[in-house]
Order: sequence, then structure tokens, then C-alpha cells
Amino acid sequence: MPTETAAPESTACRVTLSDFEGPLDLLLFLIRRDELDITLIRVSEVAGQYLAYIRNAVELNIDVAGEYLVMAATLTRLKSRSLLPSQRDQSDDSQDPGKALLRQLILYRAFREAAAELRDSEETWRDAFPPAGERDRFHDALREAERGGESGSILELLSALESLARRDEPGLPHMVERPVLSISECIDRFARVLHSEGVCESFIGVLGEKPTRQRVVSFFVALLELVKRGWVVSRQVGPFGGITLERTGRWA
Amino acid sequence: MTLDRLAREVEALLMASDRPLSIERLCELTGAGLEAVEQAVSRVEDALSSGGHAMEIAYIAGGYRLVTDPALGTVVSRLFEGRRPGKLTRAALETLAVVAYSQPCTRAHVEAVRGVNCDSAMKTLLERDFVAISGRMETPGRPLLYGTTQSFLEYFGLARLEHLPRLDEIGNLLALGADDLEKAALDLSKDGEDDH
Repeated sequence: MPTETAAPESTACRVTLSDFEGPLDLLLFLIRRDELDITLIRVSEVAGQYLAYIRNAVELNIDVAGEYLVMAATLTRLKSRSLLPSQRDQSDDSQDPGKALLRQLILYRAFREAAAELRDSEETWRDAFPPAGERDRFHDALREAERGGESGSILELLSALESLARRDEPGLPHMVERPVLSISECIDRFARVLHSEGVCESFIGVLGEKPTRQRVVSFFVALLELVKRGWVVSRQVGPFGGITLERTGRWA
Repeated sequence: MTLDRLAREVEALLMASDRPLSIERLCELTGAGLEAVEQAVSRVEDALSSGGHAMEIAYIAGGYRLVTDPALGTVVSRLFEGRRPGKLTRAALETLAVVAYSQPCTRAHVEAVRGVNCDSAMKTLLERDFVAISGRMETPGRPLLYGTTQSFLEYFGLARLEHLPRLDEIGNLLALGADDLEKAALDLSKDGEDDH
């Protein structure tokens, strides 16, 4: 990543997050500036640039809006996916987060351009004044809204209704899980499996039925800890082959 | 150049009207036929431009209206200093663009396209009457649907919604399949306007 080190202080291009209308806008800017390739193959490059940007903003104590962090997480996930061999070759395109992001970028860019054209129309037509009677109509409407007149109150009522309706709108699933598993508990479980059998044919086997993402991560971290301590060694026969775990003599 | 009776009637109606007048409405008011009124409108247009007047006829939001020449905007806007609502922000314009091209659409749709929260932009647009609630979607939660208004067309000088720029292009993009994405993505780093 050639420009990863480029700090926002550099005179070449000083841009701050407040110049952008959200994470998609920032991504499009980076893609254009560095002529990046937003396909799955090169996503790590795009992700690197984006993360460098966000990191700089955080270092400068700028309040980074949640949306930017969500995008950072998405890109990190895409990057890690691109580094791993694909599990399913015929994956459903609509489920592919890379394609989804691509679609989002393309759509957003089109609307951003449409907005720029609206801006041009605004410039022109704001300077074309209609007859006085017509302007009065607008001013009346404006004043009424400011006073909270009749049309204003219906508007307020509807937006209040809407905020209620939004509560049960099917949004992104928001799951809050309490921590149910500590790393030492994971190590205990490894111990039970490895002490009775000495070897373990697959990591997945230790996880149990239908493991949650959190469970997989916990066990993986536990395994890394065991390997670091030298209590467990892993062996792989060939590329992409199964990985067996073995207890060493150091694990008493 | 002296205008005939019908042309003068049309000019007077446009001058006095408090909203754009459709061709049908002009026919109704003058009692003349469609073709005659159309020709009368263009005679008024010619008279205004050849006489070097500061006014012109614009076809906006499905009707004709008289407007001052945009080139004189600086002077005329001094009349309304402090009384005129400001220009729209980029957030508001982008939100408005998504609503205009996808209407009727939900707030969730706008936020999905823009990738950011649109509450305050939407509030501005509702207050300025560029966007209005147009119904509810028949899905769980029955979210509100939004659409653009007559004021939207008037503010941006659009004759009708079909005259939105790049309507086909964006319609195609909204219906784009996964296979076409790769092709469309190729030019992400090349063309396109970037205002930074």
C-alpha cells in the first residue's frame, strides 16, 4: 500500500472527513484519487486506503461517525475474505458482500451526479424570479410552517407517527449477546478433548453443534494461545488440507 | 411589434397568476383553442426577447410562467435579502435526488443508497415542501413513502418528472443485475464528476 503512510497533514492533499457526505463518498474519492480497482481481487488495496484515512481521523481526535466505522468493518471483512480460499465456489451473488458494496457504490455515484445536476438547476432557477403573486404563495407557506400553523401540525403529526412506525421497520438485525465463553473456558474444553485422545482431527469438531461466530472466534483465540505457549502443535498434510491438532509434552 | 388581443391576454394572465398556467387552463381562461393559445404564447415570447425585456416565459411544472432573466439574478435577489431560504446543502440535494428517482420510496431506501442517516436532510426537504409523504408501504411496519412535490419541479425549473436528468441511466442502474456490475465498476476510477 504505497500511500498508507500519507498523513492528512501532507500538503499534497489535505482532506478531512467533514468534506464527505458519508463513507460511500469517501470511498469513491479514494478510488478516484488513487485509481484503485474496486473488485474483489483488489479490495485489500481499497480497504487499506480507507482504514488509513479513518485511522488518521481518529488520531486527530475527530469524532468519526458510526457509519464510517461500519464501512471500515465491512471492508476489513471483505479484505479477510479475499485472503482466504473461498468456501463455496458457487456462492449466491446477491449474498456476496463484495458485490453488494459494488452495487451500492455505483448507485450512490449515479445519485451523487444527479444531485450535482440538480445543484446546477438550482443555481439557474433561483435567479429566475416569478411574478410577485407566486412568491407570496411560497412565503405564506413558509411562514405557516414556521408558525406551526395547520399544515405544519399535520406534518408534525405524521412525522411523529413515522418515528413510531420506524421502530418496527425491518432494519438491520441488532443482536446483543452477553459474553458466555471465556478464553480459559475454551482452553478447558481443548484440554478435555486433547487429554483424552491426544490428537484432534479438526478444529470444527471442538466447537460443538452450530457454533456462533463469537464461539468460533473465542476458540480460535484460545487455540492461538495454546500454540503460543507451545502446548499444542498443528500439522497440515498439504495446502488446504485438514489441520490436526496435537498435544505436546509441555501441556501437563 | 404590437401584440394581438389573444397574445396580450396570455401575457396578462401569466403576469397575474400565482402559479404556472397549463396550456389547458390558458385555453379555458381565454376561450381560445389549443393551437391558437400555443401560438399566442410563442408570440409573447418573441415580443419579450426581441424587445430586450427582462422577462421570459418558462415552461415549468406542467405550465407556463413569466420569470425574470436569470442573468439579472444578482440585482433582483437584493430585493429579498434575508427573506429568501438558502440554497440546499449537498446532503439535502443527494437525499432529494434519491427520492426523485426512486419515488415513491421509504426513508430506509434513501439511507441504504446514501450510506448515512438522512433525518435532518429529510426534515429540511419536508419543511421546504420539496418532498411530501405520499403513502405507506404495505409491508410490516407500514413505513411511510415519500415523493417529490410540485414545488420541487418549480424550484429546479423542471417541466415534469420525466425531464429529470439521466432518468434512463439511473433507472437501469436501479434494476442492474450482478453480472453487469463488473462492467459498470470498471469506470469507477475513471470518469464521473468529482467535486472535491
